[in-house]
Amino acid sequence: MSHRVRAALARVKELFRHRSRSAAEQDEEFSFHLEMETAENLRRGMSDADARRAALLRFGGRQRFREETSDARGVVTLDNVARDTRFALRRLRRAPAFAAGVIATLGIGIGAAVGIGTIVYGVLLRDLPYDEPDQLVRVGFITDGIGTPGDLHSEVTFYHFAKSARSFTELGAYSTNDGFAITDGDAPERVTIASVTPRVLTLLRARPVLGELFGTGDTSWTNGRSPVLISENLWRRRYGADSSIIGRSIDIDHGRRNVIGVLPRSFDFPSPSVDLFYPAVVPVKRPQITDRYFNVIGRLRDGTTPLGAETELTTLLPALAERFPAITPDMLKRTRARVSVEPLKAATVASVHAQLVLLGVLVALVLLIATTNVVNLFLLRTERASREIAIAFSLGASRLAVAQRFVIEGTVLGLASAIVALPAAALALLTKFGFTEREIPRLHEVSFTEGTVALVLGGATLTGAAVGLIALTRCGVVGLFDRLRSSRSTASRRWRRVQNGLVAFQVAVALVLLVATGLLGRSFLNLHNARIGFDPENAMTFHVSLPWDGYRSYGANAAFHARVTDRLAALPGVTSVAVAWNLPLASRGVPALGMQLQAADDEARPAVASASNMATADYFRVMGIPLRAGRGFRPGDLRGVPAVIVSEGLAKSLFGTTDVVGRKVKRFSSRPWASLFTIVGVVDDVHWERIEDGYVPMIYFPLLRDGDGLPADSVPVPGEPRAVRYVIRGTQLPVATTIREIVKELDRRVPPSNIRTLGSLVDDATARVRLTMLLIAIAGVASLSLGVIGVYSVVSYAANGRVREFGIRLALGAAPTRVGGMVLGDGVRIVAIGTLSGLVAALGTTRLLRALLYEVEPTSVAEFGIATALLAAVTLFATLLPAHRAARTHPAIALRGE
Amino acid sequence: MAKPATNEQVLQGTLDLLILKTLSLTPMHGWGLTHRIEQLSQDALQVGQGSIYPALVRLEQRGWIDTEWRITENSRRAKYYRLTTAGRRALAQEVASWNRFVSAVGLVLAAER
Repeated sequence: MSHRVRAALARVKELFRHRSRSAAEQDEEFSFHLEMETAENLRRGMSDADARRAALLRFGGRQRFREETSDARGVVTLDNVARDTRFALRRLRRAPAFAAGVIATLGIGIGAAVGIGTIVYGVLLRDLPYDEPDQLVRVGFITDGIGTPGDLHSEVTFYHFAKSARSFTELGAYSTNDGFAITDGDAPERVTIASVTPRVLTLLRARPVLGELFGTGDTSWTNGRSPVLISENLWRRRYGADSSIIGRSIDIDHGRRNVIGVLPRSFDFPSPSVDLFYPAVVPVKRPQITDRYFNVIGRLRDGTTPLGAETELTTLLPALAERFPAITPDMLKRTRARVSVEPLKAATVASVHAQLVLLGVLVALVLLIATTNVVNLFLLRTERASREIAIAFSLGASRLAVAQRFVIEGTVLGLASAIVALPAAALALLTKFGFTEREIPRLHEVSFTEGTVALVLGGATLTGAAVGLIALTRCGVVGLFDRLRSSRSTASRRWRRVQNGLVAFQVAVALVLLVATGLLGRSFLNLHNARIGFDPENAMTFHVSLPWDGYRSYGANAAFHARVTDRLAALPGVTSVAVAWNLPLASRGVPALGMQLQAADDEARPAVASASNMATADYFRVMGIPLRAGRGFRPGDLRGVPAVIVSEGLAKSLFGTTDVVGRKVKRFSSRPWASLFTIVGVVDDVHWERIEDGYVPMIYFPLLRDGDGLPADSVPVPGEPRAVRYVIRGTQLPVATTIREIVKELDRRVPPSNIRTLGSLVDDATARVRLTMLLIAIAGVASLSLGVIGVYSVVSYAANGRVREFGIRLALGAAPTRVGGMVLGDGVRIVAIGTLSGLVAALGTTRLLRALLYEVEPTSVAEFGIATALLAAVTLFATLLPAHRAARTHPAIALRGE
Repeated sequence: MAKPATNEQVLQGTLDLLILKTLSLTPMHGWGLTHRIEQLSQDALQVGQGSIYPALVRLEQRGWIDTEWRITENSRRAKYYRLTTAGRRALAQEVASWNRFVSAVGLVLAAER
């Protein structure tokens, strides 16, 4: 057995050995030794007292004897840890400002790192919660040549790839819709449905908690039976988790459906808010590739990569024209049709990938800065405590004991910082900063768990201990060992350079964040004052979606809305009521630009993608959208060539002018609706989903109360007013219950939803910028204050090291202001370097914010100037204190302490 | 208080050798050991009493010495240290290497021009 192994074994044995026994043995050995030595000294003729003192002196102190023997054993006894912890607590109580500073700094750093880190990890990195998630891909069909946005498929492209592609074991299509309501029982309820081909469920390996999935081979449900799957949430919420639900029928405003299974809560595809799953049929009736509604996902065959699958689909694309002669090769070429295959996880989070990576980097920086600052604060303190440490050594304390004390002090502080870090992490994870999975996909998968607590506690303890260790290697102890004295100055000079660099880096980061805060703040003000195109004051809105049953035609839908409008308009305080498909800023999740239009009298002009709306005659007046030319809608507008109203922006892009009243516009479509319209009016531009996205080109179709007296089967405009929003303007707006009662009296199956003021729509539309600004402002203020602490501690540290030099200079007659100026110079140098590199970094990075900025250039001089001035002023102020202290150094200090 | 580390290092290595050699003559307790070393060196070497115990712990961990509580001639309980077989082997090696060191240093010092 080598002696290394033996030594290790001895150590382990030592750990288990009864501690009091070994201490008692040591004590006994020690007293025996002293006794013998004293007796020897007595024999040499010393007096009693002298003999004992001489014996003690020669031995060199009992404490040291104890510690060095345990040093040699390499054991940190629990006894010492407890004692040092008590000692650390006592020392920290004597320095509350230092303790509070460290606890707050570390707490914020660790809390932010854990909280935001968990979100970034959960959204970007963690596997999707389905079996073998790496095989899952999203398959896109993209036509850059026409305005149809996104990567959705039409029936033919899905059919074609599902039939021909060999790269996938399964391919499925789905779409979602929130225009459905469950109408059984007393309270009708609006729900979100997903229409999925049966393969969507099997390829995701969904397992029902109850009942069964749709059969993949059997399509009998297309004729007669109408099965539906419900979510576990709906099952518990509405049906009390009653297992007899299987086989039962439920009433949905689009027809009665038969429940065949319940999908578990853990199955959250395509979104956790989906409550009903309809089996989708993808019938190829009219081959076309312009109207596209289907999301397509697939499971790759073993060994196939997304790239390989994409290559296969690309080679299959020309065959689409062979299979469906209606799709010509020229059409594929003109629309610049192409396919994409990307991992489902990447596709799901693509919209937020860049922002989250940026956030993760920011948080890592904040943690790094926080740790550096704490180390600096520690150093500053130990520099002052070096005399104390020297005394400890001379009293016989061992190196291990002093080291242990540092590490324990750091650990105690680290653990204490969990007091700040835990609530901070919890706050981040519970509020998620007000975001939902609508803005950040997969966010619902992230939560505050025991793991988070463990992570915070572990992180806090480790960081604290590490800080103690770093401070230990950098300070006091080093200077006290003579053999290191010679190398000390170069080592500490290098360390000081590193320190200065880190602080300059902090200043730079703080500047970048301050600039970003300024830019976002300006954006927010601009958004707040932006001309939103309508008047949100004294108005409210709600949503209504009519069932198929009883409301098949345009006329039936319009008649219902006319009755509701009359009842609402009769309420006291209500001045006017209007109905439309969509309101500006309320169209979240509804794809804009879904319509392809062209000037009918000028074929040379290119087609334009436009958003569309359907509105009653009163709509523009009630909303406060100014009519710029022509007239509003009136009876008769659906007859002949139907009338439309266009926004100024659409008029300009269609015709190059706003003088378009009386001209005709053509719509491309695969559907059997009229495709020629006469422009009767031009209105101001409005926004769609967000103010910062700018105005959208918009075409308005008439919503006429009697359906203009046309026969029920005529389709004068693209679509009927089935799912609509009401707008009510008045001096006194009705309460939600009044609205519910009125609608329920007219049809008890129809639940009005989303009842709110127009003002709250505007608030929602600015929420994203407001939240981002808030986050960055918090980071900015945090990094500014961290930067101040950093500059202060590093300048003080340097000044403390030169205090004797200052004393001598002052004694030799140097002016105090000159000495102060020397210290100030240190600070100015760091701040200047930090500010300059910060400016460069800011110029490079604010471009990333462009998507969030509204009418502010990412390099706006005003915002850069203000941020720089603020930062420079605050950080220079932080160097004034040590400078002032240095200037007041008493010359006598030079003579003391050696 | 701390001694210059370079000296300490040399002393430590030598101290181990001295302890091993002394214990090879007869088992004894810590105090006896310090005095025996001083006596054997005819008081030329002063052993730091505080440093002998850490050295003993170290040697014990290497398995070179063993300990045992015994009663002294004045009927006091004391901790006795005794060389193990491994310790004896180690001593032989240490002595050999010390001799090599001494003769090497001697050669250098005896060099003429």
